[in-house]
Amino acid sequence: MKATPLRAEALVRESRAEGGANQRLRLFVPGFGGFAPGQFAMLSPGTLGAAERFDPLLPRPMAIYRAKAVEGGAEVDVLYKVHGRGTALLAQARPGERVRFVGPLGRPFPDAPRGSLALLVGGGTGVASLYELAARTQASGGARVRVLLGARSAEDLMGRDDFEALDVELVVATEDGSLGERGLVTEPLERMLDAEPDAIVYACGPTLMMRRAADLAAARGRRCLVSLENAMACGFGVCLGCAAPKAGGGFALVCRDGPVLEASSVDWERLAG
Amino acid sequence: MSDVDLRVDLGGIALRNPVLTASGTFGYGTEFAPFLDLRRLGGIVTKSLTLEPRGGNLPPRIAETRGGMLNAIGLENVGVEAFLREKLPALHADVVVVASVFGTEIEHYAEVARRLSASERVAGLEVNASCPHVKSGGIEFGQNPNLLAELVRAVRRASTRPLLVKLSPNVTSIAEMARVCEGEGADALSLINTLQALDVDIETRRPVLHNVLGGLSGPAILPIALRMVWQASRAVAIPICGIGGIGTAEDAIKFLICGATAVQVGTASYLNPMAAGEVADGIAEYARRHGLTRIADLVGTLELPR
Repeated sequence: MKATPLRAEALVRESRAEGGANQRLRLFVPGFGGFAPGQFAMLSPGTLGAAERFDPLLPRPMAIYRAKAVEGGAEVDVLYKVHGRGTALLAQARPGERVRFVGPLGRPFPDAPRGSLALLVGGGTGVASLYELAARTQASGGARVRVLLGARSAEDLMGRDDFEALDVELVVATEDGSLGERGLVTEPLERMLDAEPDAIVYACGPTLMMRRAADLAAARGRRCLVSLENAMACGFGVCLGCAAPKAGGGFALVCRDGPVLEASSVDWERLAG
Repeated sequence: MSDVDLRVDLGGIALRNPVLTASGTFGYGTEFAPFLDLRRLGGIVTKSLTLEPRGGNLPPRIAETRGGMLNAIGLENVGVEAFLREKLPALHADVVVVASVFGTEIEHYAEVARRLSASERVAGLEVNASCPHVKSGGIEFGQNPNLLAELVRAVRRASTRPLLVKLSPNVTSIAEMARVCEGEGADALSLINTLQALDVDIETRRPVLHNVLGGLSGPAILPIALRMVWQASRAVAIPICGIGGIGTAEDAIKFLICGATAVQVGTASYLNPMAAGEVADGIAEYARRHGLTRIADLVGTLELPR
């Protein structure tokens, strides 16, 4: 179920480095009424000072990792990677400071069919979009869940402890072999797709990873959902900046039509530019 | 609060307060329903509407710059018919709707204006003569006084509704363009549209936008917009709607002082979907603090050095 988005000044509860360039942020969002797996929020690029901040200007879209209802709102967790001015400023956030928050936004992941095997494939920061999906699918008992996490190295891998605590089947692949299988996470995915006729794929990560997951699923006639990332100014369908090319022509707005899209609806050739 | 009269008349459009939303930054209004009661605003200006739906440019379409952003969306819109059929009826009857009109040929502008004018819900038209990122149309009209005159004349003939012309800042003399529009029967002017601009990724040596050039908006352009509004307001008698980098009430008040009868909030709505409402509230607060009973009395009160 999609919750109505709200705009709020969120309070920083906790902000810490998690290995590599990874950061974990916990916000208290007043009035926050829940979200569906795959939805995201727009966060201001750094905390709000005494005066309005206009540089960096635009908020950053971030997957909502998980949320816990508390008195007057919710504690919302966000995992992200420092890779530019906005995220570098956000990483300086200290408890008690304020962050502008708009969310939850976007179209969530559809539920896995009863009796299916949900293969959740995350690479890099894409892992952050999948935690809640794994948790809820596991809790519902309607489908089996297997999580495949990929990163360059063990240090870069996001959220591993949280996934381990979920008691789902977990497969890890790192490009340098420092943890789990050496190689790309799409390699174990290919083996599992061959072995599991009832699999449905949920992928979020680098474009090349999602494209490979989409191709592997399509070649075996399996459904694949992807959660796209894109720069956007608003997050709710008005700036039209986050257009992604659709198969057969035209564009989907990542913020409004996505971020979760059927992999078969994406024009991967044009998306890669 | 009823102590300050915030009403203004923008070329025949009665506004409950002087704050509108800028075309292209507010969709068709309905997208803001979760965040803002649109009846708190003077009005909204829609995304520019064309005769047929348009798909827009290839990505990347936007990029952040210092204190601003570049865009080259390509005037993606649902087209005038879908707007009238699906978007307009979804807005509350008390929301003042100004429809932005665009075309690649003068006849197309006129036809879009004609169709919009058939709806009682369209309070006025804003001719987009200035969009700088479409190869055919747009920039030519706004940059050439003869073409601009021809365009305004054609739309004026096509509609009796209050007619605003949105001017391009990419000109040598904004005063000249303002006078051209006034001479052809425009009821008001909106300015400025985005400034034509470029940014580059030095790692790839590529432009940041697929379209190469884009329009610069956001706080970075405010002083330029303010200068142009002031110059235009001295050149014409018709009212001016000030646009350019407005994100706070303080920003908007500067425009009123420099001669704008109303203002439009643009890019700020992206980062804060409640921005336009907050600007309206802040203007009322300012008026109270300065003992103004009518906000219209603030318009054009810039004190120049003797």
